[in-house]
Amino acid sequence: MKENYRFEVDFGEQILRCSVCGFCQAACPIYGLTRRPALNARGKMLLLQEILNGQMALDQDLVETLFQCTGCASCEVNCPSGVEVPEILRHVRQEMVDRGTCHPAFTGMNDVLRTAANIYAESQPPDYMEKRKVNQRAEHVYFAGCVGAYREEKATEATLDLLDCLKVGYTLIDEVCCTGILEDVGYTLHSSKAGTIIDRVKATGAKALITGCPYCYRTFKNKAQFRGLAESGIEVIHISQFFMARDFGVTTDQVVTYHDPCDLGRHGGIYEEPRTTIKKIAENFIEMEHHHAQSLCCGAGGGVRGGYPSNSIGMARRRLAEAEAIGADVVLTECNSCLHNLSNAKLRRQKMKVFTTPQFIGHLLEEKA
Amino acid sequence: MLDKKIKNELMDIVGPENFTEAKIDMVSYAYDAMGSKGTPDCAVWVTTTEQVSKIMELAHRERIPVTPRAAGTGIAGMAVPSHGGIVLDIMRMDRILEINIEDRICVVEPGVVYADLQKELAPLGFTLPTEPGSSIVSAIGGNVATNAGGLKGAKYGSTKDYVLGLKVVLPDGRVLKTGSRTMKTSSGYNLTQLFVGSEGTLGIMTEIILKVVPLAKATKTGLGLFDALEDAGRAVIQTMSSGVIPSVMEVMGRYLIQAINENTDLNLPEVDTMLLVETDGYTQTEADAQMEKIIEIFKKNNASEVKLAETDAERTDLWAARKSTYPVSARLNNSILVEDVTVPMSRLADLFREFGKIIEKYDLKVAMCAHAGDGNFHPLITYDGRDKEMVAKVEKASDELFKMAIAMGGTLTGEHGIGIVKAKYMTLEHGETAMEMMRVIKRAFDPHNILNPGKMALDG
Ligand SMILES: Cc1cc2nc3c(=O)[nH]c(=O)nc-3n(C[C@H](O)[C@H](O)[C@H](O)COP(=O)(O)OP(=O)(O)OC[C@H]3O[C@@H](n4cnc5c(N)ncnc54)[C@H](O)[C@@H]3O)c2cc1C
Ligand code: SF4
Ligand code: SF4
Repeated sequence: MKENYRFEVDFGEQILRCSVCGFCQAACPIYGLTRRPALNARGKMLLLQEILNGQMALDQDLVETLFQCTGCASCEVNCPSGVEVPEILRHVRQEMVDRGTCHPAFTGMNDVLRTAANIYAESQPPDYMEKRKVNQRAEHVYFAGCVGAYREEKATEATLDLLDCLKVGYTLIDEVCCTGILEDVGYTLHSSKAGTIIDRVKATGAKALITGCPYCYRTFKNKAQFRGLAESGIEVIHISQFFMARDFGVTTDQVVTYHDPCDLGRHGGIYEEPRTTIKKIAENFIEMEHHHAQSLCCGAGGGVRGGYPSNSIGMARRRLAEAEAIGADVVLTECNSCLHNLSNAKLRRQKMKVFTTPQFIGHLLEEKA
Repeated sequence: MLDKKIKNELMDIVGPENFTEAKIDMVSYAYDAMGSKGTPDCAVWVTTTEQVSKIMELAHRERIPVTPRAAGTGIAGMAVPSHGGIVLDIMRMDRILEINIEDRICVVEPGVVYADLQKELAPLGFTLPTEPGSSIVSAIGGNVATNAGGLKGAKYGSTKDYVLGLKVVLPDGRVLKTGSRTMKTSSGYNLTQLFVGSEGTLGIMTEIILKVVPLAKATKTGLGLFDALEDAGRAVIQTMSSGVIPSVMEVMGRYLIQAINENTDLNLPEVDTMLLVETDGYTQTEADAQMEKIIEIFKKNNASEVKLAETDAERTDLWAARKSTYPVSARLNNSILVEDVTVPMSRLADLFREFGKIIEKYDLKVAMCAHAGDGNFHPLITYDGRDKEMVAKVEKASDELFKMAIAMGGTLTGEHGIGIVKAKYMTLEHGETAMEMMRVIKRAFDPHNILNPGKMALDG
């Protein structure tokens, strides 16, 4: 007996349009790692087709694949039939959660954010806030995001040092999580937290909100709950856009490559800004095998790092293998989450360093000094 | 349903982590790019010949159907487990074991993706020139088992022309080696070619020795526009008999051109028939000289316009147009059927025209294209798969197309294979005696019909 599903209304046509050609296998990082067709976009669309045909139910057995997707959008970019897999999955997951089915890691994340300000339930502000302007008036607000604040503080500190060094007028704010990720894993973005962020940014009188996190960037720019930013004339920019126009007066002859974060590249369309900065400092810049819109996901997104940690690390290792293959000394990225996953995945024998671009520039400035 | 003892044995062979009967896996393994017909009981991911051999020994003893599967991009249901049983996924056997340019060969495991092999060969100046449209995803094992082909078939042939030898696990678990690492042999029956195109019905390949050829150093791309199909058809025939063999010669029809224009920025001229052609050679002069000859033939046959790609950008645009054929067609409706009947080249224009009448009769939307250089017709029929009446019309049109192609001295399939969907036409093409001999061969290899049963009409 076929049930009625909400996702059928908006996405039924698209799900049916998946011609099951299998081309997404070439692009999906989870399939690439596991060679398990059920985890690939085609496997996911086939299940949804069967559900819409009334042949199976949207139940707990499907969690392992429908919740195991980094949302990297490689499948979508390469799909001949134009199937928007990540968007479809977001809606399907919300319906699963409404029906009481979810991955425990994501239920946990939602529970944490109900009471805590950030996904790690940390109550102390990060150390880098101590000696810096917080919640004050300034031309710019810098927003680190949860990973930048509590897992990759050093990278955030390096970015702030660079802003200081360039004498940029900025302030930090008391951050709360943008909660965008909750929408990806079946729950809803917290309007109240969005309101808090908007109010705190507005209170500084800033004209621009600079994010260190590509995911926050996407959320602030695209989600209705953050419309208040644009309505108040506050521009949302990613740090890589901000730094593109600057000169740092340092160069390196090390072999440098760049890992496109999915949220910045495929989802945000920002490919050249980071490269412009990097090419100014690195004379030996080489692309990895997969780059720009074909970049290979680091495996951290969509909650996969929390929900399926060993596959997440496995995906990061595949990405690092590409860096190794071109003899990179330095892998740069523009996302703290990618930085975190790639760094954790690095094998002892792999001598390359993984940094965010601002972090690397900071090192070069230190060396020069 | 497999009993527990058998499942445990399978887990002992491959390790529990490489065995699955999870619902999500059973759904994805029920399908290939054709669709589904039957669900497996379990699936295993194999990594060694020894594992495959032990699994087949077990399946032979217990009479369990086994369906080998590579990337699952086949479009005739060849990797669909129509009789249930075990799906044997070979995609983790993905090592390139050897590239030996001195011997002009490479040795690969069956799960190596075509494009991944090309990436290793290209820097050495060599290639496996078969390049199927699914090259970024389909695997060499699947390519060999279906005798896959591609755009360059007229000049470079298809997969069969490059397979020199195989390691194969037979349906009872014995391991067989065929062929050799040499460029030629006249020793004994050609068992290698028996497995090429056998769609996993005779044995499971675990190693493949392939011949590689030098990459062409220079190419030239051109386009001929025709107001009448007959003119284009004649131009193809005269080109192919002129002594010049283009590396690519593609026909595209008006509806396809219009669909490409509506969905891309390519702005193609909306003529009746377009011929996209490429020549290649060791030097640019060689490629250019061949193209000149072809252009001359196009003009003689009333081409309304002839264009040459003068820059890389122009060349890229022309290929983008050809490559967009499938994506553009796939978006026109929720279902797509790609046929690949092949006729003697001299009959291709007739086939285009006659199939045009069938399209009109059933009021179908069909993007017409073909690898004209080898007579391989590729109509892409797009339709609403939920509309039963429409589905019936598409089936009737296909049925008529198959019969028409055979009547013209052609074949049901130039490169996609028979699988489930074309099985019922096998006798029409091959006749009773040939079918009986195929079944004798099948029984000699697989007396219990456990290896990929239900395909190619071999069950009888
Ligand atoms: C959009 C699109 C475009 C395509 N374009 C082309 C094209 O241009 N030319 C072309 O020829 N085809 C084309 N195809 C069809 C398909 O890609 C080919 O048939 C391809 O060779 C199948 O390879 P696979 O790895 O997907 O094999 P699968 O579909 O997984 O398997 C195909 C057959 O091979 C058998 N098999 C797989 N591995 C082994 C093994 N190790 N030992 C024995 N048997 C084995 C299977 O049992 C099955 O019978 C296209 C398909 C799509 C969806
Ligand atoms: S590439 Fe697109 S149409 Fe093809 S199987 Fe994947 S999701 Fe479906
Ligand atoms: S979004 Fe990425 S991880 Fe998810 S199915 Fe598509 S390619 Fe795979």
